[in-house]
Amino acid sequence: MNTWLLSILILSPLLGVLVLLFTPSQDEKSIKWIGILGTLFPLGTALVTLSAFNKSGEGLQLAEKFQWVSYEVFQSNGDVSYPIFYEVGVNGLSMVLILLTTVVSVLAAIASYSIKKDWKSYFILFFLLEMGMIGVFASQNLFLFFIFFEITLIPMFFLIGRWGYLEKEKAAYSFLIYNGVGSAILLIAFVAMFMKTGTMNFEQLAYTFSLPQSELSDMNITKDFKMGMLIALLLAFAVKLPVAPLHSWMVKVHVQAPPPIVMLHSGILLKIGAYGLIVFGAGLFPDQFESLAFIIGLFGLINLLYGAFLALTQRDMKRVLAYSSVSHMGIVLIGLAALNEAGMTGAVFQVVSHGLISALLFFLVGVLYERGGSSQLKDFGGVAKRMPIFAGVLLAGGLASLGLPGMSGFISEFMAFLGLFETMPVLAAIGTLGLILTAVYVLRAVLAITFGTEKELSNAHDLSSTERIPAFILLAAILFIGIYPAWLSDMLRPTLDSILLGLGG
Amino acid sequence: MLQNSWLIPLFPLLSFVLLLIFRKSKSEGTAWIGVLLTGLSLILSIGVWISVWQGDGIKVEGTWFEIGERAITMGYEVNPLNALMLVIVSLVSFLVHLYSKGYMHGDDRFPVFFAYLGLFSFAMLGLVLSPNLLQLYMFWELVGLGSFLLIGFYYFKPEAKAAAKKAFVMTRIGDVGLFIGMILLFWQVGSFEYDEIFASVRNGDISSGMLTLTALCIFVGAIGKSGQLPLHTWLPDAMEGPTPVSALIHAATMVAAGVYLVAAMYPLFQASETALTVVAVVGGVTAIFAASIGLMQKDIKRVLAYSTVSQLGYMMLALGASGYVAGIFHLTTHAFFKALLFLAAGSVIHAVHTQNIDEMGGLWKKLRLTGPLFLIGALAISGVPLLSGFFSKDEILASTYADGRYGLFWLAVVAAFMTAFYMFRLFFLVFTGKPRGDQRGVHESPSVMTLPMIVLGVLAIVAGYLNTTWFGTFLSDYLAGGPVELAHGDHHGPGWIPIVATAASLLGIGLAYLIYQKGTLSGDWVTRSLPGLSNVIYNKWYVDEGYDATFVKGTKGLSKLGVLFDKYIVDGLVAAVVSGVQGLSKVGSRLQNGQVQTYGTFAIFGIVILLLIVALTGGYFT
Repeated sequence: MNTWLLSILILSPLLGVLVLLFTPSQDEKSIKWIGILGTLFPLGTALVTLSAFNKSGEGLQLAEKFQWVSYEVFQSNGDVSYPIFYEVGVNGLSMVLILLTTVVSVLAAIASYSIKKDWKSYFILFFLLEMGMIGVFASQNLFLFFIFFEITLIPMFFLIGRWGYLEKEKAAYSFLIYNGVGSAILLIAFVAMFMKTGTMNFEQLAYTFSLPQSELSDMNITKDFKMGMLIALLLAFAVKLPVAPLHSWMVKVHVQAPPPIVMLHSGILLKIGAYGLIVFGAGLFPDQFESLAFIIGLFGLINLLYGAFLALTQRDMKRVLAYSSVSHMGIVLIGLAALNEAGMTGAVFQVVSHGLISALLFFLVGVLYERGGSSQLKDFGGVAKRMPIFAGVLLAGGLASLGLPGMSGFISEFMAFLGLFETMPVLAAIGTLGLILTAVYVLRAVLAITFGTEKELSNAHDLSSTERIPAFILLAAILFIGIYPAWLSDMLRPTLDSILLGLGG
Repeated sequence: MLQNSWLIPLFPLLSFVLLLIFRKSKSEGTAWIGVLLTGLSLILSIGVWISVWQGDGIKVEGTWFEIGERAITMGYEVNPLNALMLVIVSLVSFLVHLYSKGYMHGDDRFPVFFAYLGLFSFAMLGLVLSPNLLQLYMFWELVGLGSFLLIGFYYFKPEAKAAAKKAFVMTRIGDVGLFIGMILLFWQVGSFEYDEIFASVRNGDISSGMLTLTALCIFVGAIGKSGQLPLHTWLPDAMEGPTPVSALIHAATMVAAGVYLVAAMYPLFQASETALTVVAVVGGVTAIFAASIGLMQKDIKRVLAYSTVSQLGYMMLALGASGYVAGIFHLTTHAFFKALLFLAAGSVIHAVHTQNIDEMGGLWKKLRLTGPLFLIGALAISGVPLLSGFFSKDEILASTYADGRYGLFWLAVVAAFMTAFYMFRLFFLVFTGKPRGDQRGVHESPSVMTLPMIVLGVLAIVAGYLNTTWFGTFLSDYLAGGPVELAHGDHHGPGWIPIVATAASLLGIGLAYLIYQKGTLSGDWVTRSLPGLSNVIYNKWYVDEGYDATFVKGTKGLSKLGVLFDKYIVDGLVAAVVSGVQGLSKVGSRLQNGQVQTYGTFAIFGIVILLLIVALTGGYFT
């Protein structure tokens, strides 16, 4: 069974689509149930995959490879055939991200109870999006990666544009244009690499690019080419992460998309940017990555502080969280820029941790909207009186976001800074300013909602038992990683070690 | 006994979890869960302390997670210093739990209050037991969380909300210093373990500049937590929390954590003369600065809060002046008499429902137990002979003098005078004279509240005999078993020091008596003769206003600027991209005009370009 496991996992969300096709589109209750059950199947498959996964094993596991298409190119010295394979596999890093995807998808599906119209098409798009995300992390060659990468864009575009808030169309177009430009750059880079090396496989690419320069010259691969490729890749994934000043589309999406979709977007889709930076940036061009480390660190610092400063005076909770995401992605960048085990681990921890925390916080924003019809800070106050559990979970989420020890946010921040202090202490010292600013903006926003004089809400009741499921599961996961980080770090170590080996660390 | 010391923090954690589960319970019997479990911690702590007194110690560690080759460990350690802290923390926590049962009577969220107390006690005991800096830092932050939750317990009050936020942010500024210092040390030593850090310090593996830098960074953490200048402003505001909280967190335990941190990292500080001087100067200046503000406050709890800041300054001064034992000694005695004073103040507030001393007066006859207990606390903190504060304060003065810091010595003497004055100003205004407010229905607090006060009252008297030249220097002999080398031994300063100290305190008491009891001297002669200065002092030296005008406004301004930048420049970029794409698409769509000639022209144009490329590159452009 293991031979097909990953493909089953990638295609598993399609089962939900299949069932939905035979469900009447007016039957709201059934559709929503199918929506939840349909995400449980991929989660189950992911757990089976996890149990089949050898945590301490090195290299790729559960790999599958078939020739998909092949085309011949006529050259003077004979025909050369370029086969394109369907190849998937997982290592520690992608296993963790797939798990995160399937977990957050279930919780986002539960949170989709708030969706008011066209449930059938909503969930069909939702499942396609989930398939795209799993596929991105499982792909082992450029071609497949790109296809899945694009698959995520289309459902996302419709999900924002159709089910979002007031300015949803604008946000959807902004999303499409930015990500479209990013994809275009990505495509050009991928094609160029394929033309030069004749392979699309990640491992073969990494091997080829690591050959000594004398052998590379035979393939017409110069140092400048490698640098150019790296910069193109960094640019493409910088849009996705996003790196300031390319972040404005993401703020729009955070504000306009429906909360369950933002859970997926902020929780998973942004992480594709980080994943790309690690796998393609540091993984394929370690030497060049190393020489750009300071610039990456500098951009990380800018993200961290810029996001934090802007979050300070936002009046809408969604915008506070959007800029908070910008700030937190800065931590990913500074962790990567540290070029050591601590920093790299911190970056990946931040990817996972922020995925959980922002999913939790956006879920709670959805609840807030449900209760008060707004997410403006001024419309709330003293919520702790009528909704003590909501207030408690919101505070806990906020504390996780500001890096309170015992929660996942602390481990990632601590390790990213630990790493950066070894290699770039001055940059790191300036960055710690972000730790203070984060505390200020998180407490300002959270306390504005929960503390103070009570303001009347149209529909003030505490988290219902359905709402408690995602809230408590996410909180438990945040605490689990915060208290027992070894579970995650052990799984990541082989992958990160091999990347660090390339970095000469 | 020692093997089980890890259980000490877990009892209050259990209390936290249980009480959260029972948070909706209307029964005030839930308080017993907290009292019982902290009682268990107390018993175990005393047992551990006795073992340590007999010369035992323990250190247990295991790997928490690994970064590359380096293992990050977690565990627990018991040594003389932290065994003493365990007893202080669990004792005060136990007594405050008991007292709160009476004080919080009738509160809507009665179980939640005890849950938070449990969380705080867990974090504080965990902090003390930590065998390495990272673990200390983690509990350090959790302690801050406990403090935040309890300051903000009356969450619906805007003042409480502001105070809780301020406490968290101000201490976090300090925490970042500790964070940086800890990481810098890690890259020097390769470990967060105290033992390994001290070994590296002893072996001279760390350059002197780095030693000073890391010690100062760590001290910034201590400044934040212990409310020292310039990060002191949160502590007086923290009085928005319920009074038992002020006694536990903002007098006896958490604010002393900064002093504990410096003491726990003492070998590092000893290695840098500069760091010690900074500690001493910050402590000494804070001592007199905060005492001066205490002279004029009208809120009973705020007077005590500034007094706490001032006394913590004393402890820092002692540590900076190589008076390791003196600092810890004062930490111990202060924990008892200041907790006593706060609980007594709480009892007064409980009776008269105001915190303004202008509305009190003449309570001595009505509060037959609280009055004398408050007097014991006031006498002890003023340094009146035979009570605990006398011995520990004397030790600090002697250390400072012996260390050759004469300027700071006289500063401390003046601060001692001020302390005696403001404490007795408080005492006379609250307990003597005629009632100045409505005191109908005023009665003594229930025994669940007075009992903890009596225990603390006894300790406030006798704790000083832990370390005297008369009966024995038990404390310094005991602490000598720890990792710190007490090179200077005891500081037996010149014999005139206790006389000067006593004179300063009696002078302060006497002056307060003449002004506020006898009325011989008018209280406002200073106000009249130096209106400018007294105004500045009354307004707490305008520090809050200064910070507001600079840091707060500056940060907000920067943020607003950023918002504008984001709106016009960055979004402008978006608009440019969008219109660029749209423009391109317009050109593209205009080409689709159905004229075959145009299509043909473009097709030929394209082929020409392709051919050109092939010709120039000589084949495939690989």
